[in-house]
Amino acid sequence: MLNGDQWSQLLQGFIEEASDLIKQAEEYLLQLDQTPDDEDAINGLFRAMHTLKGSAGLFSLTPLVSFTHHLESLLMAVRDGQRTLTPPLVSLMLRCLDEVASMVSLIDVDSGELPVDETHQNELLAALAEHSGQAVEQIPATQVAAPSACPNRGRLEKCANCDADGAWHISLRFHPDLFRNGFDPAAFIRYLSRLGDILHLDVIDASLPSFSEMDPESCYLGLEIDLCTDASKAEIEEVFEFIHDFSTLRILPPNSALEDYLQLIHELPETDQRVGRILVASGLLTEHELEQGLALQAQASEQKPQLGSVLVEEGMVAPQAVNAALAKQQSAREKRSLESSQIRVAAHKLDELINLVGELVISAAGAQLRAQSHGDAGCVETTQTVNQHVELIREAALKLRMIEIGDTFNRFHRVVRDVSQQLGKNIRLEIRGADTELDKSVIDKLADPLTHLVRNAIDHGIESAEDRLAAGKPAEGQLQLNAYHESGQIVIEVADDGRGLNTERIRQKAIDRGLIDPQANLAEHDIHALIFAAGFSTADNVSDLSGRGVGMDVVRSVIDGLRGSIEIDSVLGAGCTFRIRLPLTLAIIDGFLISLGEEYFVVPLDMVTECLEMDAGQLGDSAYGYLNLRGKPLPCISLAAHFDLPASRSKRRNIVVVNQGRQQAGLVVDNLHGELQTVIKPLGLLFQHLQGIGGSTILGNGQVALILDIPSLFRHLQNHVEASAGDLRQPRMDISGF
Amino acid sequence: MNLPQIVKAEMPLASIQHLSFRVRQARYALPIELVREIIEYGQITTVPMMPAFIHGVINLRGNVVPVLDLAARFGFELTEPGKRTCIVIIELELDDQQQRIGLVVDAVDAVLDIDSSEVEPAPPFGAGIRTDFIAGMARDERGFTIILDVRRVLSLDDIRQLSLAQQAS
Repeated sequence: MLNGDQWSQLLQGFIEEASDLIKQAEEYLLQLDQTPDDEDAINGLFRAMHTLKGSAGLFSLTPLVSFTHHLESLLMAVRDGQRTLTPPLVSLMLRCLDEVASMVSLIDVDSGELPVDETHQNELLAALAEHSGQAVEQIPATQVAAPSACPNRGRLEKCANCDADGAWHISLRFHPDLFRNGFDPAAFIRYLSRLGDILHLDVIDASLPSFSEMDPESCYLGLEIDLCTDASKAEIEEVFEFIHDFSTLRILPPNSALEDYLQLIHELPETDQRVGRILVASGLLTEHELEQGLALQAQASEQKPQLGSVLVEEGMVAPQAVNAALAKQQSAREKRSLESSQIRVAAHKLDELINLVGELVISAAGAQLRAQSHGDAGCVETTQTVNQHVELIREAALKLRMIEIGDTFNRFHRVVRDVSQQLGKNIRLEIRGADTELDKSVIDKLADPLTHLVRNAIDHGIESAEDRLAAGKPAEGQLQLNAYHESGQIVIEVADDGRGLNTERIRQKAIDRGLIDPQANLAEHDIHALIFAAGFSTADNVSDLSGRGVGMDVVRSVIDGLRGSIEIDSVLGAGCTFRIRLPLTLAIIDGFLISLGEEYFVVPLDMVTECLEMDAGQLGDSAYGYLNLRGKPLPCISLAAHFDLPASRSKRRNIVVVNQGRQQAGLVVDNLHGELQTVIKPLGLLFQHLQGIGGSTILGNGQVALILDIPSLFRHLQNHVEASAGDLRQPRMDISGF
Repeated sequence: MNLPQIVKAEMPLASIQHLSFRVRQARYALPIELVREIIEYGQITTVPMMPAFIHGVINLRGNVVPVLDLAARFGFELTEPGKRTCIVIIELELDDQQQRIGLVVDAVDAVLDIDSSEVEPAPPFGAGIRTDFIAGMARDERGFTIILDVRRVLSLDDIRQLSLAQQAS
């Protein structure tokens, strides 16, 4: 027996599986929304629902089973062509999927119970039923087996009409539990008839008990079917995939050897004569052949019991069926091997590995330091080799956590569909760079801010169709999600071709809210940045989507928390682009080690563009200033002065030029120590409001060095310097005003 | 009649072990369950733009742990490290996260069994430090030991405001 822990672990596994299945189902549905006839998508959707229902049954999650059962039945009707998926039906199905997802999230892992409020479900089911009712009226059931349009009906010869060599013989015996599991055999026969012509169909009721003993919920039937088709054996098997557990299926290809038919007759539970007669009736065997064969078999079984099986091996399947089946199997196997080459690993195990790699990096650096101070050439060389390997291990370990952003992007198809329908707008979502990889922990945290930006773009950015036409734009709005690499960072863009940010209104609003001085002369870029201030919203009417002014500052703080930055590119009337820049990983980075007196600091190497030597007199003692860098002014900051560290005594100082987006600045430091693999150690709660410093790391000698957070340093400098320079600027503006 | 009440009152009064230490001339104590270890005063990396009492961070076997100067937190001058200066590493939950913090003290004294019947409330003034830092005053033959209210001493809100003020200046 399973104990409680194991059980809840299994249940946890089910919840994960279910979430995956729901996600898959949603993708298929959205695909069907575009192309309603996509059979693969319908089958995929059906399979997802079926698996979900089956697994939920294992855990006795009755409400989930019964709800998914309704969805499954509907999909079965869609699959065998009785119903089509109309856009309203897709919307309804999407809502049902949401309900399934919320049910899954309600499962109590410890008790294994699923407390549900059924009113909402019943509403949805009622809507579904209503919908199905309409659909049945609209689409008459036309697909029911049109009995053999094929003139060669019941012949063994090649069927001229349908490219097939004779008929397949399928014998199907149902499990007594078939009905109890909610399957209707007729649906499968209808689906089977899409593959080809059913030439002959016999119901086997031999096991039907007497009326008084019969259980009306049990299935006692079997079917003998002759099918004229050019489909492969695998395709025929697939038809019955879902009742695989509740039936016994035997398929004989056209023109099978007599022995195979005899074998079949022998294997079936009914009497040989009865099955034999069916085969004769369908024209697959002649009376003579049957008699001869049965006699032969009787003989064979007396003399050589294995003869039958040898014959089966030799002539079991006709050659053309073998080829088709092989091709089919090959592709199925390839697909499966692609799937099985993925391993699911618990995230905490990866974290543990990466932590250990981090420790390894630090100790390897320590060993190298020792070796160098010791001066033994051999030892130095060995530690260098070790370090190279450690670096490779580090890179490989970090790659383990990288996942493609595509999954996150694809989720927005649904958001765009829902929100644009709600607002009556016509919007197309375009996704680029879905294969860009990003650290999983970053992607997880990114979902919320992205959703916010997307919703905002649909709600405020993209205009209604009339406004768009009036402005000379296509009626269909366009929203773009884009991801790419740029100088060691990941850039994610949310771009719309809507009306753009209204600079004047933002400015006015900011003045009303007291965020800026009415006389302040801000660049357009700076005004746009004001929308990230807390409590700022310019939407004139608050909708339930956005406009409450509680979003953008949250977006900003999440991005800050990921050591990233966000900028806005907006052109009035032409569209708006939000550009998020993020570091590739949160755990270990390539750093550049510098020192100020006794203190060591690390600058993320991606940000460093060059290093310059500086004369002591160039900047003087002031903390801030600028230099001439190849004809352009380069703002410089003396880190020691900025951080209130003791003034440097060294004569020769250096400038590290750092680059962040469009900004460039020089950091004045004492010494440069070169590249360093930097394991980021969080500084903890006490320092979470510290601007300009993003974390810490441990150097080879055991000393702690602080890691500079360049974006936050830049922002802090801007606010800080502008605040102190504001007093100087103000009078000058007054003069020009007069 | 009174008997059960007395028993009830004494039940939770079982003596609790405290670590006592000295900061400047006064004696202080912390419940020993908070204390993880005591280490020698060593290499501390300064973190700029923080209030003076946040001394910096140390490398505690691969973990970066912040270090506070208790004397400076109480409003005295920064500690000049001497022979007996130590860092007491404590672990407690702040904002729902387990956090390890080092406290610089002038000397560690002993482990005391403090019976709660011997704990007096803090006097409104005169103890030398902010009254809200004091959880109680333990009396013994040598005088009083101040039991610290660690959560107040390490109040994140307090520290946040101080560090924001520091950065703005």
